[in-house]
Amino acid sequence: MRKLFYFRLALSNVRRNKITYLPYLIATAVMSGVFLLISGLLFSKGLTNTPNGDTARMLFGFGLVVFALFTFSFMLYINNFLIKRRKKEFGLYGILGLDKRHVGRVLVWENTFVVGGGLVCGVAIALVFGRLLFLVLMKLIHAVPGSSFSIPLIAFGLMFALFFVVFLVTSVANIIRVHTASPIALLSSEKSGEKDKKGLLPLAILGLILLGGAYYFAWTTEVPGEALGIFFPLAIAVIIATYLLFLCGSIVILRLLRMKKSLYYQADHFVTISGMFHRMRQNARGLATICILCTMLVVTVSGTLSLYLGREQMTRGMYPFDAQVYVADTATKEEIVSYDTLLNQIAAQNHVTLTADKSKLITKLPEGEEYRRNNFVWEDSVFVEVPTLIFYSGSFRFDISGTDEDCLAFIQAVRDHYGDSFSETPSLIVSDFYTAREEGYGFYGGLLFLGAFFAVLFLAVAVLILYFKQVTEGYEDKERFEILQKVGMDDQQVKRTINAQVLWVFFLPLATTTLHMLFASKIMAQMLKTFMLYDWGMVLTCIGGTLLAFALLYFAIYRVTARTYYRIVRR
Amino acid sequence: MSLLQVKGLGKVYNTKLGMRQCIALKNVSFEVIEGEFVAIMGASGSGKTTLLNILASLDKPTTGDVLLDGTSFSSIADRDLSEFRRKHLGFVFQDFNLLDTFSIKDNILLPLVLMQTPVREMEERLLPIARQLGITQLLNKYPFEVSGGEKQRAAIARAVITDPRILLADEPTGALDSKASASLLGQLTDLHQIGKTIVMVTHSAMAASYASRVLFISDGVLFSQLYRGEEANRAFFDRIVATLSILGGGDIA
Repeated sequence: MRKLFYFRLALSNVRRNKITYLPYLIATAVMSGVFLLISGLLFSKGLTNTPNGDTARMLFGFGLVVFALFTFSFMLYINNFLIKRRKKEFGLYGILGLDKRHVGRVLVWENTFVVGGGLVCGVAIALVFGRLLFLVLMKLIHAVPGSSFSIPLIAFGLMFALFFVVFLVTSVANIIRVHTASPIALLSSEKSGEKDKKGLLPLAILGLILLGGAYYFAWTTEVPGEALGIFFPLAIAVIIATYLLFLCGSIVILRLLRMKKSLYYQADHFVTISGMFHRMRQNARGLATICILCTMLVVTVSGTLSLYLGREQMTRGMYPFDAQVYVADTATKEEIVSYDTLLNQIAAQNHVTLTADKSKLITKLPEGEEYRRNNFVWEDSVFVEVPTLIFYSGSFRFDISGTDEDCLAFIQAVRDHYGDSFSETPSLIVSDFYTAREEGYGFYGGLLFLGAFFAVLFLAVAVLILYFKQVTEGYEDKERFEILQKVGMDDQQVKRTINAQVLWVFFLPLATTTLHMLFASKIMAQMLKTFMLYDWGMVLTCIGGTLLAFALLYFAIYRVTARTYYRIVRR
Repeated sequence: MSLLQVKGLGKVYNTKLGMRQCIALKNVSFEVIEGEFVAIMGASGSGKTTLLNILASLDKPTTGDVLLDGTSFSSIADRDLSEFRRKHLGFVFQDFNLLDTFSIKDNILLPLVLMQTPVREMEERLLPIARQLGITQLLNKYPFEVSGGEKQRAAIARAVITDPRILLADEPTGALDSKASASLLGQLTDLHQIGKTIVMVTHSAMAASYASRVLFISDGVLFSQLYRGEEANRAFFDRIVATLSILGGGDIA
């Protein structure tokens, strides 16, 4: 074989199959771009230098690991999907005399082109959008960028490492697949129909029960603490139920429709229902996955958005008094009184005034209000009389009035004066609203940013799965519709049938997502209460808004993909 | 009574930029009387499939016209063509063209469903046809579960269930082994005997010998025809082969 033979064959393969390889390339580009951006931000000097950056960095680190795992599995999935479609082609190569290991070599080259091309685009994306996103992030976490944005080398290194691993694993998988297939088997792996499976009804019913149960618990959990605990098991239950319903429930419903002869044997329904049988068998898993991804997307975005928008409220909820200053257990009464004076002195130095409003204390709790306010006072709290502030249960409590900067300066002054741990004497520990609020920016801002990133990721994955499925089906359906036209179905009918099927396939995930979100909203609101977020109205608005934006985006994707599908099916 | 009239049919394909012209059919004219079983014989590339596609209204001729029961194909508007096809024509294709998403029963009922026939009437029409073709026990199976011969019989059932004026068959035995072929041709003969008009296109002399009349086509031109008369299959077959060998075309099997 000539030296560049495999290279050129691979290149022409990729070029010929543009319509299939392009999304794979886009997927690689998006994933690598996003990965590069997150890791770039994670390791960038800008983030390491800001005080709020720490929390954001921790989040990003975690997010990065999750992202890497996700990218890895998704790339494998797409690769398997593409290779399966080419079985016939490989069979042909074998019969024409191209040795198996040579075919393997061609595949490795193809992989190189696509992954390499994707990485190049991904780097381009990261460089172009990196600066902009960096600024957005800084704004969100309320930090001043210490330096301009540049992606450190370690980020590049990580990205290349990850995708190199992906490349290795996919190449090896492909080579193995080619080696273990016989040419004749590959060539005749035509449409093997699916038999009607038994035992679907009980599974479908199981799915329904699981879903109903999960919805019930999601809706009726009143205790926020409980909500947090059961959210994860409920989510698992919903995921399993979604898969069961899509895989089995859909077939069961279609069978029921088919049995109703007066409904089934009408021209439009006839073709659509039987077409849907085939579609659901092929796509149920993919559709269920898309539904789960979309739900996760909406939950992530609306959750982080709610947290971010409500951070002020939440922090306020955690700090009914602006500041709490803890004193060592060993402090005597005189020392406590002296602290009182000292605090006032430092306050005056920093142009702030300290007030302590005794009416803020609640000594007895009305029924049912246990979890609302946390400035309640236990009956056995030890009060110490101090001149200006309030002191009980080992800490001073007071409000600070002044400008934000002055308040922060005051807090810092107290910390500087007394050190920050009990190991030094005399010592105080300050826990205050202003610092918490600043940290909140870092935390919630970082969380929102990450949430948005993952939303983009989920959306990209969902779109790609949809696109691939539609393209594959387009080719299969093309033959089917030609036959239908020969048997006497006119153009209008064919178009209507295609429309109906495409619509169902697309909007089933969306409808299911909306349904899930309806019930999830209540439990999300409950969970957010444990973060001291009580504004259910705002949470609902966030969820509703996210869902709406998502639906619009989804519809746009539907239009684009549907057009490609039509182009393939209609001559 | 003349059921099908073909007048001066011509079909020309232009390749890109009109560089080359491919003349698929040239001035083809013939008539089919009701109740005839006509075979159109020719080698591959002789234009027979093109001819059948035009007879099936799947394609339009460049010149000439086709009349069924006096109705000219060219007078039918495009959007009414599907309906016309559904009502008056039935076909059997070489590659069966059964839909794999439907059971055999639903495949056969498809044209009736498209015509919005009520369910009871559909099932009433189905049973005798299924019985005649011997596929009653296959009705609930799927195409991938049955053999080629059975698929083709299902295709015939689909073609005749609408009670079309004429049954068009494009190489119906092309994908079948000799036993299944013989069985299928026997089915077509039975249909012929109960009065159906059949036009079959084939390159096999063996298949053509089952017909009552054979037209020979080569390079887009009809150049000969043979009437069976009262002859048995074997004798007719010999005559067909003789004609072919004299005029130099077609295969035997």
